[in-house]
Formats: sequence, C-alpha cells, structure tokens
Amino acid sequence: MKPTRSWSRGAAALAATTALCLPALAAAQEITIVREVDSNNYDPHRSTARAATEVLFMIGDTLVTLEPDMQTIAPGIAESWDVSDDGLVYTFHLKEGVQFCDGKEMTADDVVYSLERWIDPETASPVAWRAGDVESITAIDDRTVEYRLDAPFTELLYQLTQSFATVIDRENVEELGEDFGINGFNGTGPFCWESWTPRDRLVITRHEAYDWGPPWYENQGPAHMERISWQIVPEESTRTVALMTGQTQVTQYVPHIALQQLRDAPNIEVQRHDEAFWTYFMGFKVDRETVADEDVRRAMNLAVDQEALAEDLFFGEVEPAYSYVSTAALDWDPELEEHLLRHDPEEANRILDEAGWERGPDGVRQKDGVRLEPVTYVFAGSTWGKISEAVQADLLEIGVAMDIHAFDATVAWGQMATQDFDIFGMSYPYITAGEALNLYFRSENMPTPNRMNWDDEETDELLQAGKTALDEEERFSNYAQVLRKVHDAAVWIPLYHEPMYIAHSTDLEPVQPHNNYGAGLYKGLDLRFRD
Amino acid sequence: MIETVANRLLLSIPVLFGVLILGFALVTLAPGDPARVMAGPAAPPEVVAQIRDRMGLDDPVVVQFLRYLGRVAEGDLGRSLISNRTVTAELGAAIVPTVELMVACLVWSIPLGIAMGTLAAVWRGSIVDRIIMTISVAGVSLPIFFICLVLIQVVGVQWRLLPFIGRGGPLWTVEGLRHIALPALSLGLIFIGPVARMTRSSVLEVLRLDHVRTARAKGLSERRVILRHGLRNALIPVVTLIGLQAGYLLGGAVVTETIFSYPGIGRLAVGAILSSDFPLAQGAILVLALAFILINLIVDVLYALLDPRVQRR
Repeated sequence: MKPTRSWSRGAAALAATTALCLPALAAAQEITIVREVDSNNYDPHRSTARAATEVLFMIGDTLVTLEPDMQTIAPGIAESWDVSDDGLVYTFHLKEGVQFCDGKEMTADDVVYSLERWIDPETASPVAWRAGDVESITAIDDRTVEYRLDAPFTELLYQLTQSFATVIDRENVEELGEDFGINGFNGTGPFCWESWTPRDRLVITRHEAYDWGPPWYENQGPAHMERISWQIVPEESTRTVALMTGQTQVTQYVPHIALQQLRDAPNIEVQRHDEAFWTYFMGFKVDRETVADEDVRRAMNLAVDQEALAEDLFFGEVEPAYSYVSTAALDWDPELEEHLLRHDPEEANRILDEAGWERGPDGVRQKDGVRLEPVTYVFAGSTWGKISEAVQADLLEIGVAMDIHAFDATVAWGQMATQDFDIFGMSYPYITAGEALNLYFRSENMPTPNRMNWDDEETDELLQAGKTALDEEERFSNYAQVLRKVHDAAVWIPLYHEPMYIAHSTDLEPVQPHNNYGAGLYKGLDLRFRD
Repeated sequence: MIETVANRLLLSIPVLFGVLILGFALVTLAPGDPARVMAGPAAPPEVVAQIRDRMGLDDPVVVQFLRYLGRVAEGDLGRSLISNRTVTAELGAAIVPTVELMVACLVWSIPLGIAMGTLAAVWRGSIVDRIIMTISVAGVSLPIFFICLVLIQVVGVQWRLLPFIGRGGPLWTVEGLRHIALPALSLGLIFIGPVARMTRSSVLEVLRLDHVRTARAKGLSERRVILRHGLRNALIPVVTLIGLQAGYLLGGAVVTETIFSYPGIGRLAVGAILSSDFPLAQGAILVLALAFILINLIVDVLYALLDPRVQRR
C-alpha cells in the first residue's frame, strides 16, 4: 500500500503545482490597468491628483466633454447648451434617462448640488477657481440647469469638462460623509465603484444602463469591459514586464527607456499622442538681482539645449519645448514661432558679454558684485535631478553656475512659495493657452503659482480681457499678446512637452489616447478585446 | 511558563516605549510638513498655518509627544493625512496580507532549511554538504531585491509561470496562492541560508555528545539517532535564530512587497514615509515593532517548550 499512497500523494502535489502555475483563466471582458501611484481619495472636489481623475472620468460624468483634439467641446450629460449674448448665463439641457449606478435617475438638482459643493468654501476645493465667478447655479426644471456668472468666463465649458465638475449623488455624499470617495461613490459614468484598497487596487464594474456616452465615441455605452482593476505597481520595470507578460493589458505609465522595447515586442502596441499638454519648464523669479536682467534670462534660454536634453535624458520620447504651452493648444499664436529662443550658446555668450557680465577667474560671470549663481529649487527625484543637472551643465558653458537645491515633494511646494530662490523647476497640465497664462502670470497669483513675481498691469488687463472675451477672436488676440510679452521677457526656460503614451496588449483594439488632465483612457468606452 | 511569558511581556514595555520615542522622533525630524501634505500643494500659506495650528504642530516637541502617547494609549493612532481613513483601518487592511506572506514564506523555508542543515551535517565534507553550503552562502549574501528581480525575470517573464504583481486574494484561494508564490519564494530564499548553516553546526555539535554515542551503542538506527536524539537537541539555537530572522524578514518584506506590489504593511510603511503621511508612518513603525516583540515572545515560549531547563530557570 505504501508505494501507492506515496504515488497518489506525488500526483496530487504535481496537480496542485500545475494548477498554480497555469495562468488564471481571465473573465471574458475584464482587464487590469497598472499605474504608478494611487489617489488620496476619489472625491472630485477634494483631490487634484491625476490618479483620481483617471477613475472619476470612468465612474462619473460631466455636463460637457472634450474631444481628443483637446479643442472641441461636445455634449456630456448635457445634450445641448445655450450661452447668453453677454456671456453671463449658460443654460444646460440635460439628456433624458441618465441614471446613477444605484438606478436612481439623475436630475438637474444633482447637477446643481455637485457644482455648488465644488465651489462651496467649506469644501475648500483647491480648484474651485476653475468654475469661474459664479453668481448662482439653479435647476430651472428637472432637465435644465442655469449657470449664472458675475463676469464672462470664456473657458467655462473647457473647465466643466474636467473631473472636478463630475456629477455626484447628494444622498451618497451625505450617507458616506468623510468616507465619500473612499468607501464608495455613486456616479453616472460607464463604470460603477466596486471596491478600493488604497495603494493597491481599485475595481470598477460595468454600468449596464449606461448609454449616454460622449457622441465622439464610437461606442456610447454600455462599455465593452465588464470589469476593470486599477492596480498600483510602483516599480516601473515591474510595470513594463507585467505588460509584456500579459498581467496587465494597458498602462500609460511606461518609463521612456522601455518604450522602444515595448514597440519591438510583438504583443504590445504603443500609442503616442502629442497633444498631451503637459509642459516642463524652469521659471525665473524676475525681481531677484541674479536673474532680474532680461539679457541674462535670454542668454540662459539660448544656452539650454532642449533637443539634446530630450534625446539624451528621455531617449527622444519627449518633445523639445521652446514655447511655454504646446503649439497645438487652443489660442496658441503660430506667429510667435519666429520669436522663440532656440539653442545658440554663441549668441548667449555674446549677449552676456555685451551686457557687461564678465567672467571671473573661475569662469563664472559677474557684474556690479552680483555673481551669476542662481539658486534653483527643484523636486527631489530622478526626473528633476537629471533635468537640472543637464541644464546646469549647459549654463556653465556660458558662465552661469546654477546652485541646485532639491526638495522632497511635500517640502518643495512650501519652499517654492518663498522668495529665497532665483529659479524653480515645475511641470503642469493645461487644456488651453489661456488657462496656463491665467494660472501662472496673473499678479494676484503671487507668490504661488506665479512664483516668478511677474507683476505687470498690462498682462493682468489682457488676461482679464481674454478670460471675459465674448468671441474667440477677441480672446485669441488678448492671449496672443500675453504670450508674446512673456516669451519676449524670457520669464521661463521651456524644457520639453511630454507626449501621452499608452501601451496596450495587442489583444485589445487600439485605444484612442485622451489627454484631459492626463487621464489617457478617459471613459474607457473604447477598451475592448479584438474579436 | 506563565511566569516566563509575564516576564517577557513586562520587559516588552520599555522596548515599546523606546519604539514610540524613536518612531515619533524619526517622523518628526524627517523633512516634510504634515500641514502642507494635508492642505495640498495649491493651498495658500495662511491655510497651511491654520492647519499647523489645528494639529498643534507649533507646540513644543515634548508636548506633541505626550499628546501622541495619550492617543496611542487610547488606541487612537489618528487618521491618514492622505486618505483620511483611520490609521487603524489602514493598518488592519495591510496586516493580513503581510501575515499571509510571512506564513507562506516560513512554512516552506523552515523545514527546508532545517532539512538542508541536517543533511549537510550528516554528510559533512561530502559534495552534498558543499552544494548545500554554497546555496546557504548565496542565500545569506544575495540582496533580497536582486532575488526578487531574478525571480520576476525568470519565473514571471521567461517561463510565464506565476504572476508577480499584487495580491490575488486570501491565501486559501488559487489566485491568492499564485500571487503569493514568488514573494514567498524570494523571502524564503534569504531565510533558508542562515537556518541551514545554524542547523548544520548545531547538529554537528550535538552528534559529538555522549548521549548520541550512547544511543548508537544501544543499537538505534542512524535515522532515529539523528532525528530523535540529535536534531531535537540541536534545534534550540535554531529556534532562536528563526525568531531573530523572522523579525528581520519584516524588513525584507518591505522590499519584497514594494517590488511585487504586494499590499502589505511593509509597502504601506514605505508609501507612508515617502508621502510624508506621518500618522500612518508612525502607526506602521509601531506595528512592525510590535510584531518583532511578539515574534521574540513566541520564540521564548518555544524555547521553554523545547528545553525544560529554561522553564525551571
């Protein structure tokens, strides 16, 4: 008997091991999306994290949506809207039959509640300004919402496409209290909240009733996928091999170094979208004596070799930037192209020589007792570490010795709100040129995000005129003047525009990258397996 | 036995107090401003100042520590600055996966380590001994992150046998087992080395003793001599080592959990520290220290069970 028992034990062990090693049979329409970091919560008004937006677009809806060209406004849960001639009143007509995940019908009251909660000072949303100067938001009837402004805001519709304007369910918010967006979320999006383990995994399931997707999607709902797991994988190499081995089907968090490898892999497709509108730059605090001289700032712009930076540090996978916003962004002025500062170290040296900045014995330039040793604040970490060192090396060529101070992200924001530095490194997402300019160059936004201390009355007037313009031409004209002004003054050194990359398994149909706030998969309505 | 446990528990109190001081000091001295974390990057300085005031961050450090101590005594570890969930809830969710990982690691590596050490001792100087000792030295010397990466590359990527991201579910499910296999294997590989080496030297020592010679003289089989009279007596130092190493495994788990994206307490601690989530970091440090103390307590009890002389002392 003994040998038989031992054989049967061995066979059982072998069977168990084989079962363990066989890949799990995936459910029919179920995918895992891996990403680098999690959000702090999924409350649209309490989180500004891209990680929150990625999910909120899928589990919630906004009144209007933005087409992938990042310029065209399209219906969301509002099927149409009217704008009064004075640009002060927006009337939204809601689609019929829109439901929350719990089956409850969504009405104008829900929209009003959501938008009012967004701008309520008690909510303390850091992005409440995006809603414009609101006078009132009213439900005219179950299907009509009136959004009344104190001053026209030409970008209102663009801002309403963002996840901060997601429609939420008052009962759900009140029931969950502080745990709203942590332990649950009842939205109207193509997917419904199932579970969240912070820093690990968030699972959403298909909203079966959903058929009110944006018209520019081929599929307006329900979604093809039955279940999506958003899995956090902090290690970039693990994310890459997870994609290559089929443990995840799609990710937009692929290290630049691995992109070519993924393109070469037979089972992976990589989609690149240049209209990502995420720009890296270094800004000058223009009232500090080291960089107050416009000639110095221009020379430093000319010294930096953006092309080499993009090629050497990012394997050519990013776009060298010479403009402060992407040239594809709404209201960018193409006429500015010829005024942009491109790599020319000889010209940079000539400008500094002519301006009287003389090289000292150590090669560093100085004038009137001021040495060109700008104190530079950047975020600690590999990205800004290598960027700042590359810029430092370029600047040294023209006699500028950059003094780099790197701070942990939690300290950096505070440090960059001080007046103790000459240059700061930053990156930012935007939808339009106007949004970027209003954020960074308004004098009322000093000391942050206007860390440059750009205090110019004319700029403020032009920005206000652009923001409240009633027609596109007027808006464009005002913003174009600001763009010209700040580019001519060399207030920043633009470094690179980061394109959107989505790498996915060839088992999936090609995915259309969407760039609203960098949430590449947007509503996920086009995620589907090949037949 | 009860007295032994009570003594150990009493001795744990000053250790725990030391851990609380150290955890508090580390987190307080680390760069980062909890108020800024809470307020978010775009918050104006006055909002940050208000939060600092509300959190008592401008109070003297001693006052802050005493307040922290009082809260811990009441079982209140505060709320995560990032997620706003209670620290106890966050820790509670992360402890189970880590305990599973420990169990999955120890359940195979302890018997294997002891078996390898015993075999090496019995066949001392043979090729078996050399092979086993080479494996042990490799296990002791190789850094855990390297082992993790090699396993991912070979087992996960080349052979495509096992998944290497996340947790598949509870340990008793197939998916749970599949997902925990590689992290448990990585952790176990650094564990078997020291266990095998200690077992080998301990068994060699015991096999030289008089009672073993007597057992052989009585005509007992070699297998019985080694297992009954040799190994059992040789296990006492091995158990001590296992206890110590199991504590260090928690450190290895921090790396393993991070590389395998495994949602345990190690990864939670790393995430909390990197994101300056101070209450959560303090809570994680406290739990890790408690685990270390608990493991040592278990070792002491096992020690007493294996060696009645310890109980009598």
